[in-house]
Amino acid sequence: MNKKDVIALPSMPLQSPTYPRGPYRFFNRQYLVIGYKTDESAIRAHLPEPLEPVGDMVSVQWLDLPDGEGFGAYSATAQIIPCAFKGEQCSFVCQMYVDNTPPLAGGREIWGYPMKFGKSLLKVEGDTLTGTLHYADQQIAVGSMVYKHDAFRKDYSKEHELLRRTQITLKLIPDIDGRPAIAQLVGINFADVNIKGAWSGAARLELVPAVNCPLADLPVKKVIGGLQLVTDMTLPYGRVLHDYLGR
Amino acid sequence: MNVEQILQLPSMPAASPSYPMGPYRFIDREFMIVTYETDPDLLRQAVPEPLEPNPDNQVLYEWIRMPDSSGFGDYTESGVVIPCQLNREPINYTAQMYLDDEPPISAGREIWGFPKKYAHPKLEVRSDTLTGTLEYAGQLVAMGTMAYKHRSAPGGVEAQAKGMTRTSCNLKIIPDVDGSPKICQLVGYNLTDITVKGVWLSPARLHLIPHVNAPAADLPIKRILGGKHFISDLTLPHGRVLFDYLKDA
Repeated sequence: MNKKDVIALPSMPLQSPTYPRGPYRFFNRQYLVIGYKTDESAIRAHLPEPLEPVGDMVSVQWLDLPDGEGFGAYSATAQIIPCAFKGEQCSFVCQMYVDNTPPLAGGREIWGYPMKFGKSLLKVEGDTLTGTLHYADQQIAVGSMVYKHDAFRKDYSKEHELLRRTQITLKLIPDIDGRPAIAQLVGINFADVNIKGAWSGAARLELVPAVNCPLADLPVKKVIGGLQLVTDMTLPYGRVLHDYLGR
Repeated sequence: MNVEQILQLPSMPAASPSYPMGPYRFIDREFMIVTYETDPDLLRQAVPEPLEPNPDNQVLYEWIRMPDSSGFGDYTESGVVIPCQLNREPINYTAQMYLDDEPPISAGREIWGFPKKYAHPKLEVRSDTLTGTLEYAGQLVAMGTMAYKHRSAPGGVEAQAKGMTRTSCNLKIIPDVDGSPKICQLVGYNLTDITVKGVWLSPARLHLIPHVNAPAADLPIKRILGGKHFISDLTLPHGRVLFDYLKDA
């Protein structure tokens, strides 16, 4: 392969790039979001400067992604910390677990999504919307929510506001000598968000301490509630909000 | 978390880095390598300039068991290596790699540009046969078999250890946040502190099944040249840039 074609490759490996070029459209992207109160000092410890804490609320989210352009069918679990950047309310993506290489590698390499390999599952079991996460064969998280208790709701303005918020990631890529090549805060805004359904209701959450999947480092003090969302939405490229290497 | 702490992090996520700082030590790393001859035109297409594929059109299909790897754990890998030349020096180019463990996938891609994807390789002794398999997305895409320790390799463990010091390289591609290329380099590295515990040559066969996302069969098998089986301890250090496509091309 000649050098010009090499530069045009979207990703490694040359013979079958792991992910194509973006943006990436998701169809029937379903969320279970469980919001809870945690320890404020743990939030402070987890937020990279210059992000600022905005309270004691965080969330653990399950995502079922049955139809992601370029990525396929997979599931994810994420831990999100609401925060402020230059006065704007944002969502810091603190941890994320997926079971599929293209979003894992693409997520880390393009936007700096903090993804590791974990087996996430979001499904309806009897009367319960249930999210589970297994990491290295151990069950680390279980979330449960009542199933569509507030049916017939038509006002999704709060949910639109939530999905419009800038997501922020801490993108770290080492250089070949081990020193940082990229150290940035990256901002991501989903586009063309279509909310097909939204339901809120009672929820519970259990997090099990595990060293390589430390969701429980932001301990559950009090569960506030659950939110189920079904959407179509587009993940575009992002933008650099802050460069720690001053470039 | 302050700026100094952030710049000390070895990897994402800050909350529990995928991989620690290298180098990385491997104990009892077991290899099965089946060497075969392929089509010269297809081989040329699979190799990025300025690398030149070997004139004999040889390809190495590998399985590697890594039961004890510092920072990474216990995992198995399988993939395609193409002997090449760079500035007339021999160099091994890693074309495809499939493994079942996230830290070496992320570290491999992000530090050295190893072209790694998640899949399920296996290397095990089944009755009289050293057997390698690779499943990708639920489908078998490679199956290698080798007779078990039929004869020790000429030159023994010393010659094998010396051969393993040869420079290897990868095509490292990391996009920028806007999708444009941020890093596009040929990256070289050399294994160090190599102890070979045994090396054997035996008859081997290899079966590759076409699959779009694990396209080992895109370099078709014309003739099997042989199998090599060896066990070693070794260290994988950081590497160096051999060619920068964004600066030198």
